[in-house]
Amino acid sequence: MVFAPDPAEDGPPPTGPADVPALQATDVAKRYPTGVEALRGVSLRIEAGGFLGLLGPNGAGKSTLISCITGLARPTAGSIEVFGHDALGHDPEARIAVGLAPQDINLDWFLTVEETLDFHGGYFGMPKRERRARTEELLEAFSLTDKRDQRTRTLSGGMKRRVVLARALMHRPRLLILDEPTAGVDVELRLELWHAVQQINAEGTAILLTTHYLEEAEQLCDRIAFIDGGRIVGEGTSAELAAAHGVETLEDAYLSLVGRHELSRQGGILGAATAAGLDPEELRRARAAGARDEAADGTGR
Amino acid sequence: MSGMSPSQIRFLALVRREVSRFMKIKRQTLGAPLLETFLYISVFGAALGARIDKLQGVDYVVFIVPGLIMMAWATNAFANNSSSILQQKMERAIDDQLSSPASPAQLMMAFALGGFIRGAVVAAITTGVALLLIDLPVEHVLVLIPALALVGMFFAQLGVFIGVRAEQFDDVAVAQTFLLQPLIFLGGVFYSAELLPEPWSTITHFNPVYYMIDLVRYGFLGTSETNVAASLAILTAIVGALTLLNLHRFRVGTHLRS
Repeated sequence: MVFAPDPAEDGPPPTGPADVPALQATDVAKRYPTGVEALRGVSLRIEAGGFLGLLGPNGAGKSTLISCITGLARPTAGSIEVFGHDALGHDPEARIAVGLAPQDINLDWFLTVEETLDFHGGYFGMPKRERRARTEELLEAFSLTDKRDQRTRTLSGGMKRRVVLARALMHRPRLLILDEPTAGVDVELRLELWHAVQQINAEGTAILLTTHYLEEAEQLCDRIAFIDGGRIVGEGTSAELAAAHGVETLEDAYLSLVGRHELSRQGGILGAATAAGLDPEELRRARAAGARDEAADGTGR
Repeated sequence: MSGMSPSQIRFLALVRREVSRFMKIKRQTLGAPLLETFLYISVFGAALGARIDKLQGVDYVVFIVPGLIMMAWATNAFANNSSSILQQKMERAIDDQLSSPASPAQLMMAFALGGFIRGAVVAAITTGVALLLIDLPVEHVLVLIPALALVGMFFAQLGVFIGVRAEQFDDVAVAQTFLLQPLIFLGGVFYSAELLPEPWSTITHFNPVYYMIDLVRYGFLGTSETNVAASLAILTAIVGALTLLNLHRFRVGTHLRS
């Protein structure tokens, strides 16, 4: 049980009834001083032990929502609770319950791998002996033991990504937030991270994962939410989302929701027809006829 | 089994991180100020001091050493905090602390103490070097210790203020070069304000650093150009106000949280 929350060691666990969700965001809005509205009334719920994938194009509001959950940004409206604790105030229980692995590597250049984990444990109030034991576990679990005395700035990109994930798990959070954890990593590390993330979830940690890789979300998550323009525009299982939009794949459901049907690998026609309320076969025949006419009068390009 | 509460562990970890940072680059953070002090004492004390009459009843080199000690604490406290916070902001490594359960007060005080401790270490080394080179009296230790501590905390908090506000290293350098250095040098480290012609003598009295240097000099040498009690009271009030201002900024998250 390397990854699982261990309330017995951490003292009394955050209290609350068993049906309290890991995350409950309600009508969260965020307007930056520049006037940009990054979030426009986002409501999202993750059950304890659940695994939610948050998908959306760049600038959709994914990272802003994560910043609001972790106290790094202040919403202009709405409420966020983590295991029933107010995450928008300075409630320590809400912070202790969350582990964050951000999209950008944000390791402290001055610290070694071991110090990075140890200080993080300290920030979360873990006693020295517990920090030491937990550090050993995580160094081993992420194959970082031989890098323990190395400064983080000298690590490869993949190693840095491992340290970021290990750091997020150091204080045994009950809700793990992974902001595009596999962006820019090689196939081997991606599969390793997938395996680790599945194990973490299987051991009882709720996970919020943002990713641009639809197959990653499909593979890992129980439920998926689409966010676009600062709004949640769809939520359900992969199959539910596809069915709700009359398409066959999560990718087409996504493209439909963000209004980019023409990019569909199913031929583009299916998405376009669905969006237009037409029968896809009829539209395909009409397009084929149009293409023949263009070729006949020499205007085809 | 640790006897400390989670909150105490948190605060200690935050302070340890700040101390760990400057200890890892101690050639720059501790060695350079040591050399600087040695050069000041050599040049101003040995080379120029021989040609300058006594000031406030003591040799010139003895006159300047209290100011040098205060300057060492002040500049190091400021430089440490402004650089550390800005560097962590630029890396976004500070998010690890900001998303932790640490309270705004713990975060602010831990950053402040990092520079305060570095300043204290450098000031102690400076004092040690000075004691090796000259005969330095300590006339009023009960004024000296609070005076140095208040000066150290003032510049530590100023470093926090600038570090939080800064967006690039140029912002810190500008504050250090165009605000801090002139205030310290024109505050009377190397001369007595009483010797200045008007209007410079009067203008010097509007420089807060002048009162700080005078307090520290009183602690060491027992002579003062200002009202010691009033200076201590005003300095305490200023440090309190700056601390509250920084606390407010950490609570609200200005320049730290989006």
